[in-house]
Formats: sequence, C-alpha cells, structure tokens
Amino acid sequence: MPMHSQVFSQIGEAAHALSSNRSSRYFGGGTLVMRQVNAGNQSFDTIIRSTDPSLKQVQISGDQVIIGASVTMSQVIASRDLDFLKSAASVIGGPAIRNMATVGGNLFARSPYGDFTTALLALEATVALSGGRSDVPIADFLTQRFREPKPLVISVSVPRPRDGNAFRFLKIMRVKPMGVSLMTIAAHLPQSGGRLANPRVAYGSMGDTPIRANAVERALEGKTLDAQGIAPALAVATEGITPRTDSIASEWYRREVAPAHLERLLLGTGG
Amino acid sequence: MIEFRKDIFADERDDNLNEIGKPTRRQDILGHVTGRSPFYDDHQFEGLLHLKCLRSPHHHARIRSIDTKPAEQMPGVHRIIQGSDVKVNLNTLLSLMNFGEDDEPVLSDKKVSYVGEPILAVVAETERQAFDAIAKIRVDYEVLPHVLDPEEALQPNAPLVNETMPGNAFPYHEKYNHQKLRFGDVEAAFAQADHIVEDRYQMSPIEQAPIEMCGAIAAPETNDRFVCYTSTQALFFSLGTAAKVLDVPSNRLHFIGGTVGGGFGGKVDSLHEPLAILGCMLTGRAVRYAFDRQEEMQVGAPRGAERWYIKDAVMNDGRITARKFTGYFDVGAYTRLSSYAIIKAAGHLPGPYTIPNVYADIYCVYTNRTPATAMRGFGITGVDFAIESHMDQIAHKLGMNPIELRLINSYMDGDMKAHRREAKNTALVECMQVAAEKSGWNIAPDFKAMSSHNGGEGWRSEIPHTVTDTNGQIGNGVPASTVRPATTSIPAYVPSQNPSYAAPPAQPARPVSPPTPQSNVQATPTAPPQASAPASSSTPKRPRVSRFSSISGTRRR
Repeated sequence: MPMHSQVFSQIGEAAHALSSNRSSRYFGGGTLVMRQVNAGNQSFDTIIRSTDPSLKQVQISGDQVIIGASVTMSQVIASRDLDFLKSAASVIGGPAIRNMATVGGNLFARSPYGDFTTALLALEATVALSGGRSDVPIADFLTQRFREPKPLVISVSVPRPRDGNAFRFLKIMRVKPMGVSLMTIAAHLPQSGGRLANPRVAYGSMGDTPIRANAVERALEGKTLDAQGIAPALAVATEGITPRTDSIASEWYRREVAPAHLERLLLGTGG
Repeated sequence: MIEFRKDIFADERDDNLNEIGKPTRRQDILGHVTGRSPFYDDHQFEGLLHLKCLRSPHHHARIRSIDTKPAEQMPGVHRIIQGSDVKVNLNTLLSLMNFGEDDEPVLSDKKVSYVGEPILAVVAETERQAFDAIAKIRVDYEVLPHVLDPEEALQPNAPLVNETMPGNAFPYHEKYNHQKLRFGDVEAAFAQADHIVEDRYQMSPIEQAPIEMCGAIAAPETNDRFVCYTSTQALFFSLGTAAKVLDVPSNRLHFIGGTVGGGFGGKVDSLHEPLAILGCMLTGRAVRYAFDRQEEMQVGAPRGAERWYIKDAVMNDGRITARKFTGYFDVGAYTRLSSYAIIKAAGHLPGPYTIPNVYADIYCVYTNRTPATAMRGFGITGVDFAIESHMDQIAHKLGMNPIELRLINSYMDGDMKAHRREAKNTALVECMQVAAEKSGWNIAPDFKAMSSHNGGEGWRSEIPHTVTDTNGQIGNGVPASTVRPATTSIPAYVPSQNPSYAAPPAQPARPVSPPTPQSNVQATPTAPPQASAPASSSTPKRPRVSRFSSISGTRRR
C-alpha cells in the first residue's frame, strides 16, 4: 500500500475525506502520524491535511478562549491570551516537537502522552467537531475519540480561569527536560472566601486516557488549601483509578507516588 | 573550570606534553558545528534500494516454515534475502581475534531467540514497499519456553537459548562454565572476620541511544568491488566481519566511515554492513539498511544487565580481609562482545582496593533477551556500582567515615592485584584526598598524610597461597552443573517463573586452609587460576582458538 497524501483548503472537505475512508489518518503536526508511517504501519494508507486558516486561530469569546486545532504548542506558549496554558504547553516534547505538535493532535495522543489534554480536562474544555456538535465535553470526547467515522476536531473552547493562579500543572518525569510523563496532574482550584469551590483535578498517564480524579475533587470541596485541608484528598488520591503499567512505571509505583505528587501540586511545593 | 594539581606527582610528570594539560580542538568539530560532516546517510545513489528485516515477535520460537510468495510479486520488491543466501550464516564478533565460537546467524531462519531477531530481509525500492512486503510474509512459529533471567537460565532444566552454548553459559578456557578468579583463601578469612557483610546488586540493560541510528549503504564499485558507507565505530572490525560472513576477500570491500553520529559501544556489532553488501551483490544496485528508532531501542544491542553477589570479611578497624564475588552477566541470546567483558571484569576485581583474599565466579549467561554488547567501560561499570555501594554499606555498619574506610583499603603502587599484575601509578589515595578536600569532607590527619607511593610492602606485593577448585568444570561438551552462591545468607534470587526448574545442587563444603591469610607470604607453588593466567608464548598448544594474549590484549571500546 503506497502512502497517499490529500490536502484540502476547506475543513469540511477534509472532514468528509476523513470520515469516508477508514484507512485514512488526519495529519495535525505529524508528531504521532509520521511515527506510524515511518514504522510501516499497515492500518492506513492515506494522510489527510487541511490548510484552512481558521484552524490556526486563537479567539477570545466571552469568558472562553477558542483555540484552533492546528495551533501548535509553540503558538500557545507565544500567545498572551493563553498565558494560563503556558506551563502545560512548554513541557510537551522539546522545541522541535512543540513547533509541530498541535492542540488538536494532542487530543489523540495515547498515554503516556497527552499532557496538554490533561490540562484541558481540568479546565472543562469543550471540543468542536466539523459537521457535528460544537460543544462536546472533553471527557466525553476522550471516550469516543478513536471511533469510526473519525471525528475531525476544529477547535477547543477553554473557560479562562478568573484567577490565573488557580490553574496548576505538574508533569512528573524521570528524564528532564523532555521526559515522558510518569504522571501528569492538572488542577483548577478556584477559591471563595478562602475555601475551594468546584475544584477540578485531572491526571494524565494514569489510565488509557487523561482522567478526572473525582474522589479528590469531592474531598477538596469547601476545604482550605493547606496541609490539613488537603489531607483527606491525598488519602483518596487514586480512588476509583487504575494506574497503567508501562515502561515508565508500574501500576504499583504510580499508585504509591501519586499522593506525594498531588500534595506538591496542591501546596505549590512541586516543580 | 579545570584545575591541574601539579603539586601531586610533580617529579613523575613531563610538563612538555603537547596535548595533556592543554586545551585542544576536536578534529571533527568544525564540520559538526557547520553541518558539513558527511555521515553515512548523506551519500546519495541513483536507484538506491532499501532493506528492511522481518523480525521475531517472540522471545523464543522454532520456525517451522516461511512463506514469502505473497511478498515476491509486491510492487518495488527486488529481492528477499534468506539465511540460505548468507554464505557463512553463523558468526561471533570476536572470532576476528580468535576468541569464542560462532553462535549467531546473520538471518535466523531456523530458530529465533529474542524479540526483534532478524529472520529475513526484503530489498525494495522504498522503505514503505519493504514494510508492505514484510507484512505479507507468513512465518509459522512453534513458540518455545523462554528464559529472561540469568540465574534461571543456569538452572538444569532451563530452555536452551543458544545451541552453540550448552547450559546457557559461555565456556571459559574450555574448562569452566564461568570465569574464575582465585587469590588467597577467602573462606579462612571469613572464619576469622569480625564482620561478614554481604548483599546483592543488579543493574538493568542500558541503551547507548545515539542520535544517528546504526546503518550502512553499499554500492557496486569498479573491479567487482563494493563500497560501503557505514556508521560503524569499528571500521576494520566491520570490514572483517562482512568479509567473513559473505566469504569474500577483504580487498573486494571498500569501507568508508569515520563520522559516527554517536556510538558509545553500540556501533561495534556490524549488523548492517554485511546485509547491505549482500543486498547489493544480489541486486546489483546500491542498498541502504538502517535501523529506525524503534529498532535502535529494541534490537540495537545495549549494555547488558548484571547481577552481583558480594561477601566481605571485615575487621573492626576497617580492614577488608576477603572479598568474594558471584557475578551474572545477562548477555542476551548471543555472545557479541560480552565474553570479553567478563574477562575484563575479572581483571578489575576486587576494585581499586588491596584485599589479601579474593574469589570470583563470573558467568556469561544466555537469556532470551536482546543481545548485549559494548558500552563505555562494559565489564567494569556494573561491578563498580556494586563494589562502591558495598563499601558504603561496610562504612555504615562499622560507623566509619566512608572515605577513610576506602583509604584504609586503597590499593597503592607496588601492590599485587588479584590478577597477578603489580599496581602502578594508582593515585587513588591522592584522588580521594583531593575529593575530600574539595567537597569539605573531613578526614583525619593520618589519612591526609597518606601517599600512594607507600604500597608494595610485605604481603601487599606477594601472591598468597591460593586455594583452587574445579567447580563448574565442563567435560567433553557436557554442560557443567551450576553452582549457586550457596554460602551467602542473603536471600538468593528466587525464580519468578518456570517453577519446574529443579533446585540447584548444594555446594559441597570447601576445606578451609590454615588461617593467617595476611602473613602467609610463602611462595607455595600453586597452579595459577585460569582467570588471571596470561597465556604466555610457552603455553602448550590449545586445540581451540578461545584465548586472549593477556587480560588487556584487546583494545577498550
């Protein structure tokens, strides 16, 4: 099967080509797809791209910021409107990867990759699909991202945190910089009267997809962000979660260290 | 910022050296920083073909049959190369220096012994076409039991990994299933010791991870010669290997290398040159064979895993009077250079310390893992990790300053090493003194006043009365029964799988020779142990070709 490449100037055309050909893959920045091409993957023979300029845009819309699917990690880092996501974008790969890797592509990165998506999950972003819904909750999207017909992501909408310091992100790597994630933690920790209100915590590399730590969120609700306040949350750091075992770490190890890393993130002593 | 301590050994050094002590420019740095260094993959050829290997998905399997028919007619496929196309399809790298036995096929079409082992090669116009053709080839595997741990591999009923190596162990000196080192009498010293300190240490394989992945391009030249551009870090080694397995005179091969995009030992194995040249011979076209990153990590040979057991006899004043090693090198499915690493390890023991009684059994063990090969200091690095960790444990147990403990036991000029070589220019004492000073680590005045020149006195320069044994002897090709480190009280490694392995035979009690190991300086005539015996020119002829001219008879890699 020789490899074919199809380039469309309109998103709709690209989406149609993608959904009508089971042996096609969408090429965002190529950091995932080209690895498969180079390894001779036999499950697809067509690469689909779109040069639609709207895919590259970052727009403010009310309390949301809409990020085009083809926006690269380097663009995220350079964008003033996306300042709160800089901490997440700047730990994706190295500079060469960040110049190519896209926000849309990261939504399809399998564990232990997908750190940026973990950040989007904690911020309760929504995903807009071509020819489909424009507000799919990201948690729902993650459970169906590999289904046929393949969805083409146009953009993600991210609620901007009112307090920039309320969003925290920690990627734990054995190799620094440019290591693969052992565990990624993203947390949105808004406070009201000194107490946490609607906290959101998401883990990356702890399951097949980035996942919300629901038990932790419940345990943090209404608590103060100090050692005493977070103690119940640390006790349930991996409740309802089955960490993965891979070449980076075992399930047992991830389970053991999760509370320590969560504590560092919550108390601001990590990094 | 480099500081030269010229006050140390001032009378020993010639200060008119041209390079040492002076900044120097790498000979290839201008090309590298300007992007002009020619790497093997920068050479372009008209009609270049690409070679890719079909690789084993199993740790261990017999190949019942291979059906290449569906691939032969695939677009762009020029040739499918099988084991039968390789003239000498069994090789061992060190055969070029007459060491070891051929144990590894270039293409393994009968049996595969590790995941990723090459079974056949497809030469096609594009890499994609080669991958597509490989996907169509059907191999009928009979999956065999596998063994992934070196101590399990030495059990009597363990699966046989490498048919050239009965008992899954490299035969040393045609006598033993391990490399022996015997110096003095460790058991006598253990009996007199104030403390016995023992533990187990192990390390995982380490990938060299070069930026440039291993590869070669071969092309036809005039006069029925072949030119080969290669990433090898051992050009003439690769040339000799290619000439051997292809059965052509080496003057028909024109090797061009010299620019290596990171080697670190991982570019010695000469896996690419023979297949690229063979592809070129069979198609008449230029052929490129290169690892992709996945292959580099999975198939490219790493530094092997090692496991070490160390047992020390220690006196209350910090003197170590005996040190006993049992070492297992997990060399993967084939020998490559590992047999030599073990000889190097034997020459290094017991580390940079003068210990009057030393004992080591070191096994070169075959398992169903990726073959291991050279990497900086291989044979030394793993056991040094074990030795230095052990020194810290001893210091902790005695409540001693760890640098002072090392100084007490440090080797010095004139001391006799366990492999019967005099220690010269040791400088360890001075190194530790400066390290302690620089790091603000306090050592007592007596230790600050020590000098490495003061060795070689009395027993320190003598070869002691040595107790020998014939454990692990190999007779007439019959694999030796394996002796486990039975004298240790630390928990031995417990096999995690294949519970059908029989328990190891118990080690017979060893007679303990009279004590006083340190004062025993009589030149009792003893057969020098095999480990250290340099094969002198007067050594009787050996029927086989597995020996070194000396411990350091081979260049470091």
